[in-house]
Amino acid sequence: MIKRFADRLLKWYCHPDYYSDISGDLEEIYLRNLDDEISYAGWRHFIQVILLFRPSLLKDFGQDSILKDTGMLKNYFKISVRNLMRHKTYTAINVIGLAVGLAAFLLINQYVTYERSYDSHHRDADQIYRLTTDMIVDGVLGTRDAMSYNPSGKVLTEGFEEIQEYTLTYNNGGLNTRKDEELVRETEVKMVDEHFVDFFGFDVLAGHSETMLKDPFSLVLTKEKAKFYFGDEDPIGKTIHVFSGFDRPFKVTGIIDEIPRNTHYKFTVLMSISSIQDRLDAEGWRAFNYYTYLRLKPGTNVADLQERMIPVKETHLGKNPLFFNLQPIQEIHLKSEMTYEPETPGSAKSVNFLEIISIFILAIAWVNYVNLSTAKAVDRAKEVGLRKVIGARKVQIRGQFLLESFLINFMGALLALIAAELAVPFFNQLIGEEILGNLILNHSFLIKLGIFALIGTLVSGFYPALFLSNFGIVTVLKGKFRTSKNGIFLRKALVVGQFAASLILIAGTFIVIQQVDYMRTADIGMNTEQVVGFRNPRFGNVSFEVVQDRLKSFHNQLRSNPNILGIATTNSLPGGKSNEIGSTSGDSRIVGLTEPVQSTTYIHNVDDAYFSLLDIEILEGRNFNAKMASDSSAVILNETFVKRAGLKLGDEIINQKLMFGDDPENEKYTIIGVIKDANRSSLQMGVEPTAYFFQPFLSRSMVKLSGNNVRETVAFVENTWKEFFPNSALDYAFLDDRFDQLYANDKRFGAVFGAFSGFALLVAILGLFGLSSFMASQRTKEVGVRKVLGASIPHIVSIFYKEFLILIGVAALIGLPTVFFTMSGWLSNYAYRIDFPWIVLVLAIVVLLVSAFLTVGYQVWRVAVLNPAKTLKYE
Amino acid sequence: MKKFQLGEFEEIVLLTVGVLYDEAYGVAIKDEIEKRLERKVSVGALQSALRRMEKKGFLDSREGDPTEQRGGKPKRFFRITAFGKKALEYSKDVRTDLWNAIPDVALDMKIV
Repeated sequence: MIKRFADRLLKWYCHPDYYSDISGDLEEIYLRNLDDEISYAGWRHFIQVILLFRPSLLKDFGQDSILKDTGMLKNYFKISVRNLMRHKTYTAINVIGLAVGLAAFLLINQYVTYERSYDSHHRDADQIYRLTTDMIVDGVLGTRDAMSYNPSGKVLTEGFEEIQEYTLTYNNGGLNTRKDEELVRETEVKMVDEHFVDFFGFDVLAGHSETMLKDPFSLVLTKEKAKFYFGDEDPIGKTIHVFSGFDRPFKVTGIIDEIPRNTHYKFTVLMSISSIQDRLDAEGWRAFNYYTYLRLKPGTNVADLQERMIPVKETHLGKNPLFFNLQPIQEIHLKSEMTYEPETPGSAKSVNFLEIISIFILAIAWVNYVNLSTAKAVDRAKEVGLRKVIGARKVQIRGQFLLESFLINFMGALLALIAAELAVPFFNQLIGEEILGNLILNHSFLIKLGIFALIGTLVSGFYPALFLSNFGIVTVLKGKFRTSKNGIFLRKALVVGQFAASLILIAGTFIVIQQVDYMRTADIGMNTEQVVGFRNPRFGNVSFEVVQDRLKSFHNQLRSNPNILGIATTNSLPGGKSNEIGSTSGDSRIVGLTEPVQSTTYIHNVDDAYFSLLDIEILEGRNFNAKMASDSSAVILNETFVKRAGLKLGDEIINQKLMFGDDPENEKYTIIGVIKDANRSSLQMGVEPTAYFFQPFLSRSMVKLSGNNVRETVAFVENTWKEFFPNSALDYAFLDDRFDQLYANDKRFGAVFGAFSGFALLVAILGLFGLSSFMASQRTKEVGVRKVLGASIPHIVSIFYKEFLILIGVAALIGLPTVFFTMSGWLSNYAYRIDFPWIVLVLAIVVLLVSAFLTVGYQVWRVAVLNPAKTLKYE
Repeated sequence: MKKFQLGEFEEIVLLTVGVLYDEAYGVAIKDEIEKRLERKVSVGALQSALRRMEKKGFLDSREGDPTEQRGGKPKRFFRITAFGKKALEYSKDVRTDLWNAIPDVALDMKIV
């Protein structure tokens, strides 16, 4: 069977002169192999035939192929190449422009695809939903929380047949472990139930997926982590000692393959959630601190299911304003606006913005080709005329120019591949993630490159081909054809479009940069300069008093250093993410003054040094006082809380009672002060209505340094820590850096926006460079005559400027409103934002004018300095 | 001076054709090379080398009689031409020259 196929193949491609003896040789070897009973003789024969496929043994396919007459094709090709070679500048401008455009477009495209691919790799990802908690008061949607009650997944799965399975998880964040004698900080730790691994379909390399996370104190590692802890040994059955509240060994029961980075729920260590079973039981339906995922049957009506979940919620939670909500897992990364996300979500807006920028750049590059080739049409007019005279049809001429466009696009694509490959490290750095690998081996990238090179050929080549093929023979050959009127309008419109796009991108960049700068430098109501924050060590089985004593002496030791100005403790460090603070969603009221308000209140525990350490102003009343025992039931509110309660400063709030919930037996807290609003997190969010409670000692410390000898002082803190807590790792950060970190995404967006806007401008200027050079050379004689009649060089240049000034004016008319509407929309995402900066628009226009005038001026100047005696010699 | 272009594999094929003298056809050459040099030779590599050298004039060939055992296909026997012999000699001379030009010390290497 395979032998016959191989023989026919050989006969098809082999040169007839060689065929008979070569096939004889093969036959001989084949028969000999058969005699020697060598296996797969047929396949061996086939492989030999494949290896015979060599240029020196091939027959001449030109003879009987379909393309019998390639003469004209060769001619088109030759003429195209000659033309490209003759106008090297235009060719270079087109190729470079297309390469930059394609490379930028495809790099961004890869990134956008990556961002949109989050959580799509799970098994049946479109059926997986996350159970979240919505607060709905009087039909108005309030805070949306990404977490849910720990028994809810089980109850709902039992109650509804549409829900196939569930998994309950807890985001442990970070904890300390021990490897040999060293402390290790694990930052991606999740506690999950035994359904988790199969629910998402992770690849299990060792252990039983159904049981490995069932028993308390079991632990599953990813491949890399297992290698880190145990090297090449088999980790199953070994233990890892976990500190951070446990202080006991965990048994390794399984290994799973590395999980893809494009998921919102990243982990390297999994621990069985049954390890905190007592806590789960104690919290029950009283707290929602867990992430629950549900798998729905295909075709489930989600809205209807949510409706039917309400009675279930009411049996367990009563009439409180919290409701179950189902969120598709694939929407979490880009579309979630919930609080308490396990990681900072991406922004669909930024991704869309980037995509638009990339399309702009590519469009500008294509427009360059259209502009330059229609402008150059005059050069080719005679050729087209002559071709028509000897019988060329329009279709043929169009084909010829499309071939030319293909050549340019193809060269552009090759250069784009090289440019993109070289740009990968910079791009990864810009994006802040290692999402792009070797592009040359990336099939989807290569395929896209090919597809867009072809689309580019059609898009950019179609109009010029149409335009050039429509020349009238007589006008062209009589030599009357100088410039074509109908081309000029389109060309101007396209230039206006390019200018407008550049203008939008430049102005947009400036606005993004200004907003980020504003957020980083704005007055946030507290002074975080030279403040170091860290988490205090946690001890497993030691009593709280012992811990507190040890911490106290640690703090006292620190205070002995003159460069340490103060120490405060809190349960949440400023500059954290939205989920780093507790909250209560019950109603709150100031007894006798206000009606209950049903809305989330944030709870922040601090000590008496907190406000003064951060320079937070106390507007009314007083600070906590550690010496007053009654301050354990005192509360300090912030301005936003007061405003939400419908009150204002000066309303005699001090010494009134604050109460949560509607049970009259609930504890009432005495309001002893009101502080000025301080932003504890990104300025993208407003200040949360917060109640501050006093506790003398809390889980995190802040140390204020004097600013002298910062390095030595930090080293002193580190050494003192080591002396006091040799079993814990000190993980400190300056609060300023923590805040900067919050804006990392915005900053990155600004940088990406800026870089690619720069490319867009570059491509547009490149096009303008070519176009103006052509226009100037077309009008060489006009310039000559003007000079003879006494025009100065500046005057001649200004004549050209006038034309471009009009174009830029029109572009501004289109671009400025666009900038205003889109960027106002973007700014409205931020609770604290700059006023729309009109000056930026002026600046953007100036940038555009300067670059356009430099380009045009240079080209015109080159023509204007020519001696009229030379330019007019032939008239 | 690049008088004769003779690749390493071409040289081996050419020499083997000489070795086999009157019996040099495809399979025999292949077997001989595989036997003497202990390396696998594909029919493709061999045939393209043979035809290339025939074109260059190092070899000429004649057709044998069709035989039963080869599915009725004739053998093609190759023979070195005078030009081919010159090429071989040239290549041998070049090598000998190079050998002689190596100072004795260079070959007398010891592990220090």
